Amino acid sequence: MEDVIAIIGGGPAGMEAALSLAGRGHKVYLVEKSDALGGHLARWDRLFPRQDPAQDILDELKAKVAEADDRIEVVSGVRPQSLKRRMRGLELMLSDQRLLQVDAVLVTCGFELFRAERKEEYGYGIYENVLTSADLETRFKEKKVLCSDGKPPRKVAFVHCVGSRDEKVDHTYCSKVCCVTAVKQACEVKELYPEAEVFNLYMDLRMFDRYFEQMYHKAQSHYGVHFVRGRLSEVSETVEGKLQLKTEDTLLGRPMKLTVDMLVLMVGMQACQGTEELAEKLDLKISASDHFLETKDLFLRGNQAHSKGIFLAGACTGPKSLPETLQDARSAAESIHRYLTD
Amino acid sequence: MRERFIDAYDPFVIPYMIGYVFVLAYLVVALVTVVKNLPVSDRKKMFRHLFSYKIFITIKDIVADCLLHVKIWKKNRLLGYMHSSIAFGWFMLIVVGHIEIFFFAPHRINLPYYPIFFRYFMMETETTVGGSVFFFLMDFFLLVVLSGIALAMIKRIRRRFFGMRRTTRLKWNDQLGMYALWCIFPLRFLAESFTSHISGGGFLTRGFGMVFDWFNQFMNNDALIRPTWWAYSIALMVFFLTLPWSRFTHILSEALLIYMRNAGIRETSKNNGYAGVEIFSCSRCGLCLDPCQMVSAASLRQMASVEFTRNTRLGQKKKALDAASYCLMCNRCVQACPVGVNSVQLKLNLKGSELKYAYPHRYDYVEAADASSANASVWTSILQEGERTAPVSSESEEKPEVVYFAGCMSHLTPRIEQSMERIFEAAGVRYTFLDKDGGICCGRPSMLSGDRAGSEQLVAKNTEAVLATGAKNLVCSCPICYKIFKDTYKLEGVRVLHHTEYLLQLLESGRITVRKSSLRGVYHDPCELGRHSGIYQQPRDVLYRLLNLHATPYEEKDALCCGHGIASDMPYKKRRMIAKDALQKMTGRPTDVLVTACPSCKRAFAEIGSTRIKDIAEIVCEQLVDPLRTERNGR
Repeated sequence: MEDVIAIIGGGPAGMEAALSLAGRGHKVYLVEKSDALGGHLARWDRLFPRQDPAQDILDELKAKVAEADDRIEVVSGVRPQSLKRRMRGLELMLSDQRLLQVDAVLVTCGFELFRAERKEEYGYGIYENVLTSADLETRFKEKKVLCSDGKPPRKVAFVHCVGSRDEKVDHTYCSKVCCVTAVKQACEVKELYPEAEVFNLYMDLRMFDRYFEQMYHKAQSHYGVHFVRGRLSEVSETVEGKLQLKTEDTLLGRPMKLTVDMLVLMVGMQACQGTEELAEKLDLKISASDHFLETKDLFLRGNQAHSKGIFLAGACTGPKSLPETLQDARSAAESIHRYLTD
Repeated sequence: MRERFIDAYDPFVIPYMIGYVFVLAYLVVALVTVVKNLPVSDRKKMFRHLFSYKIFITIKDIVADCLLHVKIWKKNRLLGYMHSSIAFGWFMLIVVGHIEIFFFAPHRINLPYYPIFFRYFMMETETTVGGSVFFFLMDFFLLVVLSGIALAMIKRIRRRFFGMRRTTRLKWNDQLGMYALWCIFPLRFLAESFTSHISGGGFLTRGFGMVFDWFNQFMNNDALIRPTWWAYSIALMVFFLTLPWSRFTHILSEALLIYMRNAGIRETSKNNGYAGVEIFSCSRCGLCLDPCQMVSAASLRQMASVEFTRNTRLGQKKKALDAASYCLMCNRCVQACPVGVNSVQLKLNLKGSELKYAYPHRYDYVEAADASSANASVWTSILQEGERTAPVSSESEEKPEVVYFAGCMSHLTPRIEQSMERIFEAAGVRYTFLDKDGGICCGRPSMLSGDRAGSEQLVAKNTEAVLATGAKNLVCSCPICYKIFKDTYKLEGVRVLHHTEYLLQLLESGRITVRKSSLRGVYHDPCELGRHSGIYQQPRDVLYRLLNLHATPYEEKDALCCGHGIASDMPYKKRRMIAKDALQKMTGRPTDVLVTACPSCKRAFAEIGSTRIKDIAEIVCEQLVDPLRTERNGR
């Protein structure tokens, strides 16, 4: 008899897990709240560490999902409504009143970007030339990154850890991917405008994964990106409409003023707004410290939720890079397969 | 009436006399210590007060506050009755008791224990009108005290009965004192009842005594009489001996506090002398517990003011310092205190004497900077050739009308600064933005951290900078800055205004006009602007013109704190709990926007994210009717 799995969230994790499960002969419902699959990946231009176009990866995933339509049914524009346990398996009610009889549920609801408006002192939403890393990625897609006056920026600053490792916004954790994204984006700005001066204001650089350290070195030696260790304090506007940053160079031990044309805020990851609601419906546990979903343990049950038949994968259980998310999705598929065939 | 014993003595008076002598000695030592710790000028004030006509006011105040507890009545009637029945009832028992001696045994007036054990030493020979009156009075006041004691017991078991969510938790010393106090009057009642067939008694003691007599006919002896008097005497001794270490010290020190306050003595920067009396005047009534948001919203009961005074009294410096460092200085506890203990000032004094972070000469760099560009020299600027930061004043040779000081917290909420600048432009005000490009701190944060010397350094530098502008009005956006500019700075010829006051002026003089929106808003009084500076009406007068303002149960003096006091060591998690709780309470009714007038409050509430939070300047700016207004920032 065919086993049926519902996957909640049609981002890269959901799609990759769906493909793995379909490949093992299971039937999958891929439930996505928006109209299109792809999640945050659809917004991104190029991916670290080797500048692969995000679109290529997304297209390939989408094509494979479409190809496997005998086993994967995409249900878009709906959210899970409730979950009931039946004699055999689970009954998932969707927001369009559709009932899915399933044997397991995989939650891949992903993350949300930190709302930069919350750090009012950084001026997002107040000064036009303050962008988030996601805004910049959209502009990269359009192949032009211009200031509000229509001119290319001569001086750009990237601020790391916006909404990460910040007790004041209740996010004490590291979002993992922003350091390397900042390095990537700094290099891309230099590629577009070699004349521009680019500064990175960082707390410390977490170049943890393969190729990352090389990227960081190349940013300095090849692109001439400046790295200043210090956290941004506040941003104001000069009479010329430029942005004046007040920060500290903690290596020099001096307060510093820096006037730039464009400021990019490296916004971190946070649990989606609906996570709490979803956790209530599906009986999931939320971590009190970072508000992401909690797995049973971090080792041999790293994809299992606390209640039976429910699995978790991707950035809904904490910040992850894209390769990590895809691996996690495959490992979740393996866990589910074992659970169903045992 | 005549005496039963020729020697007028029984061994059971010994415990009482021990306690009596001890309390007298303690009183003398304490009074000498307090006076010794006072500055000479204050000592003179104390002495002079004794002979001025104001002494009558002091006596009235002492009667009203120490005996009748009028202030507690005003806050909580049942609690007021409880306190005044015990205090006033007991006082009247002492007074009437002494008059009784004067009437019936005037030669015994020199024996301090005689009025206390009067009924044991006297016997009733014939019933007289005078005797009956005394019996009635004594029994009546005993009943009053007993009813107070009964309420005190109920309060310990069911504080909700008193409308209090929390009351103080007692340590062993307070408990011992309290149980002794609870025992004194029931024991006196029993002792007098058991003796009433000899001494006579009023409706209460004789009444119960008759029931006892009935039992006595089976036992046919008076075996219970002397043990009960012994127990009564011991209870009094225990109460007196624990007095200096228990909360009941307030019975003595509160009167002294009132005397000193009326003599014009105030807190100094050290916790001795007057402040010492304040600490001992805390009766641990617990009225400050419910208002304290550290207690109600952040489970930080050990940080409450009532625990701070207790730990200070017992020499637990570390605990007291922790409480002082956590305190948000919102003044809600001071507002609630029926005795008038300014615990916030006491905490500030402690912080000043136990400085945690300050080091000498920390602000010396401000001396190096020139007044106009404040701390320019401390910045490492990465500026390109020809690139300049903003000029500090609008272009004019004339002296500016207003010098605007936004303050560091407003730098972190740039929308407030932006709004103020647009309003100045719309009103055609010539202004100088003093700290647009850096600027130095107003000095209040270091002052609130206890670093007076550091604060004075900053105050001196800013005074120079403000006076150099030649402006007649100083407008502050941050109530924290406003408070110190107003109270501590000596700015001859300069009016210090918070922007709420200034915006009202602009509106009233017609220099700006606004249109009313349909938004439903509530106003949050910032602690520094409200309770600390008394600015309540101006922001409301501004807001009535701008939106539909509706009231919350937390207006003006009862306003809540946002949890983000500038000089607190409280962790952000706890602060957020306070902010969230306060925001929920204020937005109980559907609210489109919560308006405040402090950048710190704005940030605190904005973090919670459930309601739109705006500064009053932002609302004015949005609703400005200005033909010349340019939409510079659409977003």
